[in-house]
Amino acid sequence: MTAGNVSVVKVREFLMVTIPPEPDDDTITALQEQVLQAMERYEAKGLVLDISMVDTLDSFFARTIAETSQMVSLMGGRTVIAGMQPSVAVTATQFGLTLGNALTALDVDRALDILGYGELGENHGNKY
Amino acid sequence: MVTSINAKVNVVKISSESDIVVVRKMAREASAAMGFGVTDVTRIVTAASELARNIFKYAGEGMVHWQIINKIGPSIGIELTFEDNGPGIPDISKAMTPGYSTGGGLGMGLPGAKRLMDEMEIRSEVGKGTTVIVRKWLKR
Repeated sequence: MTAGNVSVVKVREFLMVTIPPEPDDDTITALQEQVLQAMERYEAKGLVLDISMVDTLDSFFARTIAETSQMVSLMGGRTVIAGMQPSVAVTATQFGLTLGNALTALDVDRALDILGYGELGENHGNKY
Repeated sequence: MVTSINAKVNVVKISSESDIVVVRKMAREASAAMGFGVTDVTRIVTAASELARNIFKYAGEGMVHWQIINKIGPSIGIELTFEDNGPGIPDISKAMTPGYSTGGGLGMGLPGAKRLMDEMEIRSEVGKGTTVIVRKWLKR
């Protein structure tokens, strides 16, 4: 499933989305819809949003992430935001942005740990 | 040194949502070329994104341009100007209050952008338009 140039990929019981460096508002809005549809279609347990390539997190993007996380939560899933760059974390904090009830992880590996991927089998995923 | 910065684009006309990304790109290239570090570049680009979105959201269209500024001494900085002929801001001090919005947003754009930059000036006249100028000084 794609929204603009962003793909929603199913990995085991989770959805994985890698956000491009400079997504426009339309891409972000379309992505939200695609994620919610994919949650239902794949009966996913959660969502990993990989934002490691994202250079700019502005209020629209942050609000949409917070909303999406809330919606995924209403559908019974958990959202983990993975890989925020240090400069983005500094800027978001000074700006006053929050990501609602989304969980956060340093990278995608740790995000999958949080979602319980590592518990599915001994040989899956990295343990830290 | 200053004039050697290759500024391919210094004006962006905003008339659609996708122009916000163009403004971000301009702000990123300009501030990086001036020598701002990655965190300051991110601050400048984020502030530019908010102010450009305000133009699109409230005025529909407008212009953004940037220039290098000097003050006494060796300091240089970047100045970004956001201009529109939109409805104007009736009460600027209210608009600068975190959480206050007339546009259905979170009311974070103006106060947030101010925190990310060193200086911000707002001139606005109801029915005529709004000009927002932000500056960031290069610390060296």
